[in-house]
Amino acid sequence: MTVMDRSEWYDIARDTNWSPSFVREQEMFPPQMTGGFGLAREKWVGYDEPYKTSYPEYVRIQREKDAAAYSVKAALERNKLFETADAGWLSILKQHYGAIALGEYAAMSAEARMARFGLASGMRNMATFGMMDENRHTQLQLYFPHEHCNKDRQFDWAHKAYHTNEWAAIAARHTFDDLFLSRDATSIAVMLTFAFETGFTNMQFLGLAADAAEVGDYTFSSLISSIQTDESRHAQIGGPALQILVESGKKEEAEKLVYIGIARAWRLFSVLTGPAMDYYTPLSHRKQSFKEFMLEWIVGQFERSLIELGLDLPWYWEKMIAEFEYQHHAYHLGVWFWRPTVWWNPAAGMSPDDRDWLEEKYPGWNDTFGKCWDVIIDNVLAGRHEKTLPETLPIVCNMSQLPICAIPGNGWNVKDYPKEFEGRTYHFNSEIDRWIFETDPARYRGHMTIVDRLLAGHIQPPDLSGALKYMNLSPGECGDDAHKFAWAEAYRANPYAKKAA
Amino acid sequence: MNPFPFISNFQGDFVLQLVLADMTSTMDEVAANAAYHSVGRRVVAQPGKDIRVRKAGNEDFFPRTMKVDQSGLKAMDCLEILFVDPE
Ligand SMILES: [Fe+2]
Ligand SMILES: [Fe+2]
Repeated sequence: MTVMDRSEWYDIARDTNWSPSFVREQEMFPPQMTGGFGLAREKWVGYDEPYKTSYPEYVRIQREKDAAAYSVKAALERNKLFETADAGWLSILKQHYGAIALGEYAAMSAEARMARFGLASGMRNMATFGMMDENRHTQLQLYFPHEHCNKDRQFDWAHKAYHTNEWAAIAARHTFDDLFLSRDATSIAVMLTFAFETGFTNMQFLGLAADAAEVGDYTFSSLISSIQTDESRHAQIGGPALQILVESGKKEEAEKLVYIGIARAWRLFSVLTGPAMDYYTPLSHRKQSFKEFMLEWIVGQFERSLIELGLDLPWYWEKMIAEFEYQHHAYHLGVWFWRPTVWWNPAAGMSPDDRDWLEEKYPGWNDTFGKCWDVIIDNVLAGRHEKTLPETLPIVCNMSQLPICAIPGNGWNVKDYPKEFEGRTYHFNSEIDRWIFETDPARYRGHMTIVDRLLAGHIQPPDLSGALKYMNLSPGECGDDAHKFAWAEAYRANPYAKKAA
Repeated sequence: MNPFPFISNFQGDFVLQLVLADMTSTMDEVAANAAYHSVGRRVVAQPGKDIRVRKAGNEDFFPRTMKVDQSGLKAMDCLEILFVDPE
């Protein structure tokens, strides 16, 4: 029996649109679940997904991809990467698995919403595969770290993180709840698959796979590449949806969703990927600075896809680009200083050579962030360990749930961006975060930051020990300096002197 | 005890922090409590300088002996804490 070519039957087979006669249209596609700014379903007939596949093809390819990823893992299990890899690399792995694995599970739920409530049959078809992709990503990224759990409890956070009130987990949940778990199908297409996946995760996974290969972690490299091939397919759900919205006069509404998506994605990437690229990755393996990476992928490539879709650049574009210079340095300093409150061991990345590199990539680094690190180094060398640790909480942003922080030292520009709403004062890291709140205050008003929870008495006793208990961080799980402060010894004989420019 | 939690934005530090004082604390005590969490941790001490308090966005500092409950400040206001030359 000859099998018809996919192109001969795909358009008919995937067209699962019909006019309901037993229920009303509104019942089959409730606007709350579908979204789409009131555009009738007929408007979506022109939705044309750029990537077409069928179920048998999908299953065959996914089976091969899974087999490849699992066999690389099995083959390399004995090669002792865990014992030989740099501690900074292991921190990247722990941070990645904890922050991402269950986020993939949430994304599965979001894809399922598009699969059921998407207004275009092409979207529903693509999202059905996307839903299975995300299930695979969850399984892989829970299974791969599992082999390390018996050696290092922090790897258990691949599964544990999202079930806790650890602050970075709260930040990730708040972001993902906003971008896709509590959105309608159309908004998910725009915010998850376009803003988040096309803009950020796709390139992040490409970068991570390359970094992994560079440090010799071929298991992680093949895992991440395997996931990335799925991402680059289902990330294409959003583009054609945006096209329909723009063509139907909903440009402004669509832009707002895109802008919120990019702004929130940027925060998560600057706290996770920024420190990983510029500090945790050993200097000899660093290819690009985080800033260069962002300029190439976000300003170079993603900006072009926005323009091609007929969208204007976000009002905050220049502000966000200005943040590429400093925001992730501030987050890194915060994560390192509050290190007992994370499930990985932050690598300071603070050898004299590291500092020269930072100064070269970010001119002025030594006069700003370097000033804080100078004090830390003095304390480490003098054995004043307690002074390298916090005794209070940072104020966290009511949008990102990350510390409100910016440039210290001679460039001091730290500032609160407050907002009064219904008798409560909210605090934000920037005008961008505050603007997101202002787009829909009723959506965001009820959430309590970790600081609000402390002040409301949820954290007992109200000190670091109570906070660690509240965050479910047990001894053996709390973070500490990845290299046990060995990097500081270089300064004992020679205080840091900035290289002459 | 009538606690006064506030947001400390300490000159030269990189982050806003939650700091506690009392409604009867003087501004010098407020400044000292803020300094405890910044100076010697990420900010170098500046011996010989005073540490003064002002409301975020204001130019003028509160008088050093003014008490919180005389200042009009409320819980979780953001305060800027700066090193200044002694008067
Ligand atoms: Fe995924
Ligand atoms: Fe995805």
